[in-house]
Order: sequence, then C-alpha cells, then structure tokens
Amino acid sequence: MIKQKILRYTFILAISLSDLCVVAQDANTGEEIKLPKHESNLIADNAPVFGGIAVSADLVGFAMKAVNARFANMEVAGRLNFCEKYFPIVELGIGDCKKTGGDNNNTFSCTAPYYRVGVDYNMNKKMTGNRFFIGLRYAFTSYSYSFDNPDYADPVWKIHSPLTLHDMNGKNQWIEVVLGMETKLWSIVRLGWNLRFRNRIKQKVSEYGEPFYVPGFGKNGGSTFGGTVNLTFDIGKTAKKNIGK
Amino acid sequence: MRTMKRATPILLFIAALLFPASCDTIDCTLYNTVTCQASFYGDGKAVAITDVLTVTTFGVDSVLINQQRDTQTMNLPLSYWQDTDTLVLIITSDTYALLDTLWIEKENIPHFESPDCPTSMFHRITSARVTHTFIDSVTITTPLVNYDQAENLKIHVHTGN
Repeated sequence: MIKQKILRYTFILAISLSDLCVVAQDANTGEEIKLPKHESNLIADNAPVFGGIAVSADLVGFAMKAVNARFANMEVAGRLNFCEKYFPIVELGIGDCKKTGGDNNNTFSCTAPYYRVGVDYNMNKKMTGNRFFIGLRYAFTSYSYSFDNPDYADPVWKIHSPLTLHDMNGKNQWIEVVLGMETKLWSIVRLGWNLRFRNRIKQKVSEYGEPFYVPGFGKNGGSTFGGTVNLTFDIGKTAKKNIGK
Repeated sequence: MRTMKRATPILLFIAALLFPASCDTIDCTLYNTVTCQASFYGDGKAVAITDVLTVTTFGVDSVLINQQRDTQTMNLPLSYWQDTDTLVLIITSDTYALLDTLWIEKENIPHFESPDCPTSMFHRITSARVTHTFIDSVTITTPLVNYDQAENLKIHVHTGN
C-alpha cells in the first residue's frame, strides 16, 4: 500500500517537473524546436529537464577555521538541477567550536557533523549565467559537548574543585529559509552567497546546561541568522549551455 | 551581467560584516543566586523568629545569617560538592540561648549557560532532619534548589518559642 503511494507520488512529481520546464515544441509534430541563442535566452525555452549536478564548498567556514574563530561550520554540498529552476540539495558539514569565557576560565567545546536537505528555486527566468535563489532546508545534528571550569570555587563552604562535564549529548533539528545568488566565474566554476534564517524546531540537551554552539546552526538559541559563500562546480548539460553573457 | 558581477563583491563584503555582528551578544541570567529557601512555621502558619537568629556552617568557619531579628524566611547557600550540609541554628535572647542542628542531604547538579556566564550549582534535596531543641520538624516542599527562589523547606518550630 505504502509502496503504491510512493510510486504514485513519484510519478506525479515527475510529471509536474516535466510540465514546469516546457521545452519549445512544435504543436503538430511534437518535435523540439531549437531556437537560436540570440532569439531566446529564457529558461523555459532552453533548460533540459535534468541539467546536471553541482558540488560546492562553503568558503566562510574554512576561512573561520583558518583564522581560529570561535566556531566554524565547514561544509560541502551536492546539488541536482531540474529545468534550471529546481535544485534539490544535500549539505554535509562538520561544526567545530572551542570558546573560553572571559572572566571565568570556562571552556565550551564541541565538534560534530551535521546534515541538511532541501531545495532551492531559481527565480531568474533567463539563462544569463546568474541564479537568484530562494530555498528551504531541514537540518539535523547529533553531537557531544563539553564544559570545563578548572577552578570552580565555592565561596561559602570554601571548597575549590575543577568542574569537568564531558560527553554531554544533544540533538537539534531546525529549518532554514535561504535567500541567495550565484554567478558564473569561469567555465563550470561559480561563486555565490546566501543568507539564512534558522529556526529551531526541536532540541534535546543535557540537564546540566544547553550548548553554547550547535553544529551547523551556530550560536544556540531559538533562531539565528547565518550564511555561506559557496564555490560551486556546475557539471552537466546546463553548465555547458549556460554561458553567461 | 556586468552589474551583477560588480554587485557580487559588494554584497559579499556586506554579508561578511553581518556574520560576526549576529554572534556577539551575551545572555546571562540576571538573577543567578542559588540558595535554599527555608521558612519558619508554627501550628501550620508562617511565623517569625523574633529573637536573634544566627546560622553557621558546621566544619567550616562561615556565618550564613548573622544575628538577624524577626526572621520568617532564610536564604541558605548550600555547598557545591558535599552530599550533606550541616547547619547550626542558634537563637539567643537576654535570658537564654537555644541551638539546633539541621542536616540537608542533597544531590549537586552543575549548571551552565554560556562560557561567558558564571557557572552555578543547583541541588536536589533528598532528605532533611533536625535536632529538636526549638525546632519540631522539617519538611521538604520543593526539592529542586535553583534560580526559582521557591520555598524549599518548612521548619516547624515548637509553639511558644
């Protein structure tokens, strides 16, 4: 029963996609009409149903790690291209944070992987080499974190002892709304950036305290802003066709 | 296309400026005192100890309450690491001095919010007992001692004291 439903919805999705990226066709013969590039650069006229794949890396995360920032989300992504409009995407990353408090010698540390899946929609109607994205992501991570205070002093009972809390486990899920753009640099190489609004939907943490940082999310809280600067390698049919003007 | 290529570095620069700006706030709890709140009761009603009350720790030279009058509620800091805290309560007047000992058994629960904020120690009171000079009994009302400042212990004193 479930299998049938999955097949049905997959079929409907495939039909929808083929409808949405209409390639110019002759009404009588049904044959594809190849328009010269100078006559039409509309995506609807030029884009194939499957435009290829792309792989990308976020430069900000690696740069933040290189300069020893408080935290860094180092991630890579794989993306499909349907009709030059719909871009299903999977993002995998490793979040890393080590932060020491100013007056307290408290140290928080966490290093763990995170995962995001979602889709981008290209709002540019023309094949100009530029893409303007609006997108949505579902993200999750499961991680361990540590908190240390080497000289935790009890001022009344006068007992000094280090506070060491290791292997505290946490799980977070959140959604991201993405706004971004990218442009062609050279051949299949693209550069783009996006801004993201992240909203937590679920969190499970240790009773001792919430993590200062959540891998992939950033500073912990109900919501936060973030972003990426992506170096992308666009491989496939569209990459060859989509020569920027 | 040219406009786009010109705009991209500017937008990248703005985005780079925005990232650190969104991460620099420190949100520490303003009321971060953790004390065990104990109140005095007589015949089931809240009463105040009109004589001079002093509370000290046993084994450590610390005075938690120093010669306080008209005490209805006490805020007692518990130890961070001990499983049992021993407190000595002394009531003095011109004619007498009465002494009782209060034992509070507890679990200690470390609590942190951010590396920038002070670390706290919460407690979960598991049992409490007293000697019976001027105190009749003690009952636990809220086992968890945290920032909430709820009443944790009811100390029932002998009527007439």
